[in-house]
Amino acid sequence: MTLLTVLLLLLPVAGFAVTALIGRRLGTRSWVPAVAAVVASWLLAMVVVYGQLSGGNGDAGLQVTLYRWIPAGAFTIDFNLAVDNLTAALLIVVTTVGMLVHVYSIGYMAHDPGRWRFFAYLNFFMFSMLLLVLAANFLLLFAAWELVGLSSYLLIGFWYRRRSASLAAKKAFLVNRVGDVGFALGIMAIWSTVGTLNFSDVFQLLPAKLASGAIQPWEMTGIALLLFCGAVGKSAQFPLHVWLPDAMEGPTPVSALIHAATMVNAGVYFVARANPIFSQSGTAMVIVAAVGIFTALLAASIALTQTDIKRVLAYSTLSQLGYMFAALGVGAYVAAIFHLMAHGFFKGLLFLDSGSVIHGVHDEQDMNRMGGLWRKLPVTHATMLVGTLAIAGIPPLAGFFSKDEILGQSFKAGFLWVWAVGIGVACLTAFYMFRLMGKTFYGPSHVDSAVEPQVHESPRSMTVPLVLLAIPSALLGLGLGLPFGAGAISSWLDPVFAPAEATLGRSPESFSLFGLDGVLILISVTVAAVGTIAAMRLFGFHWPFTARETAPLPDRVAALTARLRPLYTASYHKWWFDDLNDLIFVRFGSRLANGAWWFDRTVVDGTVNGTGRLIQRTGREVRQIQTGHVQNYALGIAIGLLIVAGGFLLLAGR
Amino acid sequence: MLTIPSTIPLLGWSWNDLLFLVLTGGLLGSALMVVLGRDIIRCGLWMIVCFLFLAGLYVLVGNPLVAGAQVLIYIGAISVLILFAVMLTQSKAGPARLVFHHQAWAAALAAIGLAIMLVIVDGSTSWPLAEPDRQATATSEVASRLFTDFVLPFEVVSVLLLAAVIGGVFLAKRDDAPRSDSDL
Amino acid sequence: MSHTLDAYLVVSALLFCIGVFGFLARRNAISMLMCIELMLNAVNLTILAFGAFVPTLQGNAAVIALLVMAVAAGEATVGLAIVIAIYRNRRTPLVDEYAQMRD
Repeated sequence: MTLLTVLLLLLPVAGFAVTALIGRRLGTRSWVPAVAAVVASWLLAMVVVYGQLSGGNGDAGLQVTLYRWIPAGAFTIDFNLAVDNLTAALLIVVTTVGMLVHVYSIGYMAHDPGRWRFFAYLNFFMFSMLLLVLAANFLLLFAAWELVGLSSYLLIGFWYRRRSASLAAKKAFLVNRVGDVGFALGIMAIWSTVGTLNFSDVFQLLPAKLASGAIQPWEMTGIALLLFCGAVGKSAQFPLHVWLPDAMEGPTPVSALIHAATMVNAGVYFVARANPIFSQSGTAMVIVAAVGIFTALLAASIALTQTDIKRVLAYSTLSQLGYMFAALGVGAYVAAIFHLMAHGFFKGLLFLDSGSVIHGVHDEQDMNRMGGLWRKLPVTHATMLVGTLAIAGIPPLAGFFSKDEILGQSFKAGFLWVWAVGIGVACLTAFYMFRLMGKTFYGPSHVDSAVEPQVHESPRSMTVPLVLLAIPSALLGLGLGLPFGAGAISSWLDPVFAPAEATLGRSPESFSLFGLDGVLILISVTVAAVGTIAAMRLFGFHWPFTARETAPLPDRVAALTARLRPLYTASYHKWWFDDLNDLIFVRFGSRLANGAWWFDRTVVDGTVNGTGRLIQRTGREVRQIQTGHVQNYALGIAIGLLIVAGGFLLLAGR
Repeated sequence: MLTIPSTIPLLGWSWNDLLFLVLTGGLLGSALMVVLGRDIIRCGLWMIVCFLFLAGLYVLVGNPLVAGAQVLIYIGAISVLILFAVMLTQSKAGPARLVFHHQAWAAALAAIGLAIMLVIVDGSTSWPLAEPDRQATATSEVASRLFTDFVLPFEVVSVLLLAAVIGGVFLAKRDDAPRSDSDL
Repeated sequence: MSHTLDAYLVVSALLFCIGVFGFLARRNAISMLMCIELMLNAVNLTILAFGAFVPTLQGNAAVIALLVMAVAAGEATVGLAIVIAIYRNRRTPLVDEYAQMRD
């Protein structure tokens, strides 16, 4: 089992190395080593996961220590991995979605001459993400954190000749970096407090120190918040959310894998992993919940008006991540991870679907130039409908279960404001997702007339992963979430979070379908339905398996837009956050930098050069003593004699 | 017959003192003329006068031999030499041009300062007084000292003079053959 | 007055300083040499004055003064020869136009 774990981690590296070295020569077959590595990795992961979840590794899970990385006296860091139930849950998502995205890319990147680079980077990303999930100490996780950021940079800027792409990649990396500063400070704070960075040790020592009074509560809150900074950056929460929409410059498989299913979940995974630290500080939890639910609302409000299909999905991702952080903030850890898994599948599905659509209409991403595609892209349409239903929270699909868990737990834990905002966001989510469906697939076709005849369904290599992803999107909830509150997911993850839940004073409650829980479910389903129906009416719908169609009402849409013009404008401009950032950091920062440059040139260089010039001038003046005339020298001698003898005279007389 | 009184009437000085004053006054005056004169030839002539006064002072001090040597050597040889050289190096422009440097004022200050310092030193030291009945130095004594105690310096000075003569002749001789390299 | 050493020393000091001034201030090289002679004579006077007032030095003083005179003669010779040699080259006896040593 140890060997399998190590192998599943190292196979993608091997794939990366092989593809990087000989990929170009393989031409159209450059996908073979990469995909083979990932498929093998997936198989091994499934074995490891099965072994872990069936209790095969004991209470502590599987621990693997590869070698001593940093032996520096008191400070030692090992390269060690750990597989517990939480890691297993993440492994399922990461490897499955990763494998399907690799397969999908075979078709999607078939016409791109740089595809060997793409597969190499994808494999490298898989390695980084797996290392992140498997890491058993903070430093290794941080290293993997950075590697994932690097892969994201490489993949967002994959079409590097496009200026917008390389700018977006830079933006992503820099904004991530801002969060990483806090993260690094948090890790240093942990080290200085407990002297070790292994997860198991830290999670025992740190709460013990707080309980014994060795550290103050505010210190614990501080550590938690610093660590949270990293999560805010990596998972694109407010205020570091600005990089994710721009990251859509990368190819769609990248968006699907990195910015929907895996990398952005790293922040959620990390906060869940660090739950013993967070649960010790009520303040930190509230802040996490607040940031999360605010991001959810903000992103949903922006998604309502965007016209680029991938941007809508990007904001949707932000919104759902906000949900997850809100769940973590209220203490609903199991629900957060459940939503992470479900979201990984259906958002990955949605992105790959959008990629299929884009591929079908020949690289057109503006929804205003689509429409009526349900006939021509049947498989894509069907799977996208499944994904949309899932994200909207319509039972019995996966999204319903996980979202409802979060909302229910937040209500029952007393965070009513989180619940209320969450309900609102659920309504908005359903609305904008069906808006997307309406504009893309239904109604009259606005497709460019030159492209229209060539619109076609995607090849098998792309549609098969779509179908394969649609299955868990539909069924994951039923499989893991039933019965409510006591499903398989709970039995998997409760042991991981038990200490935290004990700290928070939560006890596993029984679920009463006809009591409070039932009412909450009813409210959330109603709200989702309202949003769905409203969008269907405004943007059109085609009832599947029938010939019935609802036509879109563009005039109504225009009227509504006009009535809500200020809100619409704010939403369309992303609440002007990018402009604000530009003003503060770019313009002001460049003015500051120019000032510093002036200072360096004038004062510093001026001093140095001035000293040189002063010495030169002095030398030139002093040189005048050398006249070449003997009598001047003789006069000098006479004067010197006067001074010396006179001095002696004065001193002797004293 | 007029008898010379032992001291000067009216002033009460001794005749020696008067002689001393006259000689020193003339000495310093002619020295000033040497230094401040415009025309070089006049300067040279004033130098001769200065040497004469010095000879007189040497006699007053009690060394007639040295006084004689002074007249012979300084006036008879060196001054003549100097005058010859002056005549050989007269440039066409003549004595109308500037005689003093720009640094003449600084030089004057330095010289005055030096003088003041020396006078102060001189005044603040107690010097021994003269024997009332000393004799003038006898030539025989000079001669005996010259050839016994001071024979080495005597020989050395003769060699020096020889070298000086040879050197002077060599330096001042005219070059007959034209020289190809000019390194001056 | 003439029976004190002070006076003689002051006189020779003044003569010496006059010579210094002339040496530093005159432009003609031969004037400088004349002033050197003045300075040497001042020294001679000092020596003889000491010889007059310190009995043990009496004989020595004369000898030393004679030797000084001889050396002065030799020095004047060589100096003048040099001046003449330079004059042949530069056509001027003025020292401030001998500026070869400056750069």
